[in-house]
Amino acid sequence: MRTTRNAALAVSALVAAALVTACGGSSPGASSGTANSAYSQISALPKAQQRAKAQELAKKEGNTLSLYTSMTADVATPVAKAFEKKFDIHVSVFRANSETVLQRTSQEEQAGRPGGDAVETDFVEMAAMAQNGFLADYAGSGLDKVDPSGRFTHWTASRFNVFQPAWNTNLIKPADEPHSWEDLASPKYKGKLTVEISDSDWYENLTKYWLDHGKTQAQVDALWKAIIGNSKVSKGHTTMMQFLSAGQSPIEAMNYTYITDRAEKKGAPVTHLPADGVSKIPAFARPNGVGMIKDAKHPAAAWLFYDWLLTDGQQELVDLGLTPSTKIPGDQSLKGTTLVPFDVTGLTKEGADWDKKYDQLLRGASAGK
Amino acid sequence: MAIAPAPTAPRGGEPMPDDGPAGDGAATPGRAVRLLRRLLTFQTLLVGGSVVVVGYLALVPLGYLFHDTFLSGGGFSFDAFSRAYGGDSQSGSMMLNSLWFAFGSAALALLLGTALAYVQVRTDTPFKGLFFAASLVPLIIPGILYATSWIFLGDPTIGLLNTLVFKPLFGASPINIFSVWGMIWVQGLHLAPVAFLLMVAAFRAMDPSLEESAAMSGAGRGTILWRITLPLVRPAMISGALLMFVQSLESFEVPGLLGLQNGTYVFTSRIYFVLRAYPIDYGAAGAYAIGLLAIAAAGVLLSAWLQRSSRNFQTVTGKAFRPRPVELGRARPLAGAAVIGYFLLTVVLPIAVLIYASLLKYYAVPSRKAIKTMSLNNYREVLHTPLAFTALKNSLVLGVGAATVVMLLTAIVSWVVLRTKAPGRRLLDMLAFTPIVIPGLVLGLALSFVYLRSSLPIYGTLLILLISYCTRYLPYGMRYSSAAMAQISPELEESAAVSGASWFQTFRRVVLPLMSSGFLAGWVYILVVSFRELSSTILLYSPGKEVLSVLIWEQFENGQFTTLAALGVCMVVILVLLVSVAYRLGARFGLQGDSTN
Repeated sequence: MRTTRNAALAVSALVAAALVTACGGSSPGASSGTANSAYSQISALPKAQQRAKAQELAKKEGNTLSLYTSMTADVATPVAKAFEKKFDIHVSVFRANSETVLQRTSQEEQAGRPGGDAVETDFVEMAAMAQNGFLADYAGSGLDKVDPSGRFTHWTASRFNVFQPAWNTNLIKPADEPHSWEDLASPKYKGKLTVEISDSDWYENLTKYWLDHGKTQAQVDALWKAIIGNSKVSKGHTTMMQFLSAGQSPIEAMNYTYITDRAEKKGAPVTHLPADGVSKIPAFARPNGVGMIKDAKHPAAAWLFYDWLLTDGQQELVDLGLTPSTKIPGDQSLKGTTLVPFDVTGLTKEGADWDKKYDQLLRGASAGK
Repeated sequence: MAIAPAPTAPRGGEPMPDDGPAGDGAATPGRAVRLLRRLLTFQTLLVGGSVVVVGYLALVPLGYLFHDTFLSGGGFSFDAFSRAYGGDSQSGSMMLNSLWFAFGSAALALLLGTALAYVQVRTDTPFKGLFFAASLVPLIIPGILYATSWIFLGDPTIGLLNTLVFKPLFGASPINIFSVWGMIWVQGLHLAPVAFLLMVAAFRAMDPSLEESAAMSGAGRGTILWRITLPLVRPAMISGALLMFVQSLESFEVPGLLGLQNGTYVFTSRIYFVLRAYPIDYGAAGAYAIGLLAIAAAGVLLSAWLQRSSRNFQTVTGKAFRPRPVELGRARPLAGAAVIGYFLLTVVLPIAVLIYASLLKYYAVPSRKAIKTMSLNNYREVLHTPLAFTALKNSLVLGVGAATVVMLLTAIVSWVVLRTKAPGRRLLDMLAFTPIVIPGLVLGLALSFVYLRSSLPIYGTLLILLISYCTRYLPYGMRYSSAAMAQISPELEESAAVSGASWFQTFRRVVLPLMSSGFLAGWVYILVVSFRELSSTILLYSPGKEVLSVLIWEQFENGQFTTLAALGVCMVVILVLLVSVAYRLGARFGLQGDSTN
């Protein structure tokens, strides 16, 4: 008995110690007041004068910017450099996957200690940040060139990741290339496909696309069953591309075109375009977006980054082989693809449900094998 | 409590403050002062401080986890468990897969690690020098690279073992790495160094007199090994088995790359799934972690029970000894060949694949065309990676820091657990083991939650990573320390005390040097694995404070496997050098050397 009580005492003492440390300091005052004032000072001016004002204010902030992004390092580094060169603002970049960018921003916002000024990440996380009220509104001239479908409450699409199948050209001859998503269900691909474990957004978009284009639920279900029946499951799009290049798997049901293009450029025998160079397979373009943190420490720099990424920065993205959210001359990234709308609204609302459904679909397939 | 008998010896310093606030009536002021003075000795401060720090490190993430699991819905509830385990989550079959995978990997790793350690320490096998550093290589290679190398070796269609060896020789491709056996093979090889390090320390600290007595009494070599040697190193074997079993249960690298392809879902795929979704169901994630926690806790209790008669393992006694290597005689060349064979298979092959890949632009099966494109470009790229040297420096600082802090803390805490009758010591032992089941992301969240609200300058500095690593590797330090401590007989401490040494002198000059093998083994382990820690690092690092694992992850995300391979090769070279230096230094500070040849 005594042992238990003493143990309990010891534990509660430890908990108390933990709490004391945890609450040791109240969170230092957030800079939301100053951030708000900077944002409103900029937006109060006519659009043509906003950038100059932001530059002036950024100078007062110390010409620094903290960017949280899920751009891969080979994109984030040149993007940050180009921005630094243009405005002489030092950029420090926190790079992580989109989930982590959201986690970190949420943790910091809840504690009232924002670390990032601008964020650039996947639409799901951008929408979540917007919903939670972490983001400030941007109304500058950068929006003018963005298609209305790319403008969202509190954030704006900055670039797209395009969904297409990809295959190894040594293993899949032109006669065997897929020409529609439905083709992936064909028995000739039995054991040749790979699907990624987390691609529920592809599953959702394709399902809705099929339903909107005259298929019944039963037909759609049958197609998915056949596709998954043809497939192995893998994890990570870049890993999959590695194995596709090496010939370990002949076809990937879906990968992002920029990943395929990049491997192809290095000389790997992979492509997402048929031999004639034109794909009829509906290409879903998933947006990545940019936002400004509401109580940022360097709001003017954040504004400049937002503005720049939608204007001059777009060219930078094109130079890096990505798909920009505005029309840029010389952009080859969509060549040969047939774009269709991406269902941002549906996934923002019911993303978790589709995650579950996709997970069940994959596991059902593996149990049935 | 029935299975928790007290250790044999009540000696070795004072018990923990079990007569503290229990309060038996009004104490006289004089008694209170005396009590206070007794409590304020250097020993109590050091021991108490270590216990508090270890408890604190373990409780922060645990508290966060429990809060999210039971209180996330407003009031106290078990909803999270039904969300996690109910419905069609197939948790049962996944748990079975997990248990089978973890059991197989731990068994294979224990077998290999123990055999290697025995050969290394207790025999006169040739090539010992090569042996030691090479044994650690699978530990150094990041899991994702090691698993990928094995895919390139053991894939049924493009695997080099199939295409270059079995197909031409036997006309068949029998090796399929995408199977449960493949998973166990890769995970077991990857974990074998954990067992190896522990067992090397244990064999070194072994008094051979019992074996000699057995030999005198006519026991054969096999009998001695089976009936005397192995039972004597049981604490280390149990510790190793426990660590590797739980680590396999909660890892997702090998099951993610090898298991999914043939539909083998393991338990952690559920945790992965839950933590990736938005909004994250922290409750369900916590419920899974608590499931693992239950298994781990049972493991700790079981290991305490198996070691209940602690006297049996105490081979480091007052008598001088020197473990004498067994002369293999005619078996020596055979053992040498076996050693070389093992390293060809577990080290040379995967490293060769990495080196081969690191010279290519993209991975392709060897062909004249592929060989023509070979160049050192990837190495050039690694050297020119911005931040490569900052990251290396930060990783070194963190690795050395975490390894030192954890080993010092756990040396003291394992002393408390094994040598005193302090109440709650078994709880402390278990508590120090809990971080092993906490998913890295949850640990990261817990730490950022706490330190974002603390005025101490910890968040956004390297210090938060240090705290994270210390927490994460606490269980390993604890196992390494207590395995070493279990071999030391308390009579040495008693003699020191009798000769007038203070507790601290005894601890510093008797206990620590005697457990130095185990201490160094744990230190090396933590140093090496902290170079790869990513799951909490990625949330907690700050720009300018990058570490190597973040750079590796970036290369991986960039899709540059070949550059990543080059980085992996560089890491192996750097860490093998570091470990050799550590052992050289260790040899100067009281480690009994066994470099007889």
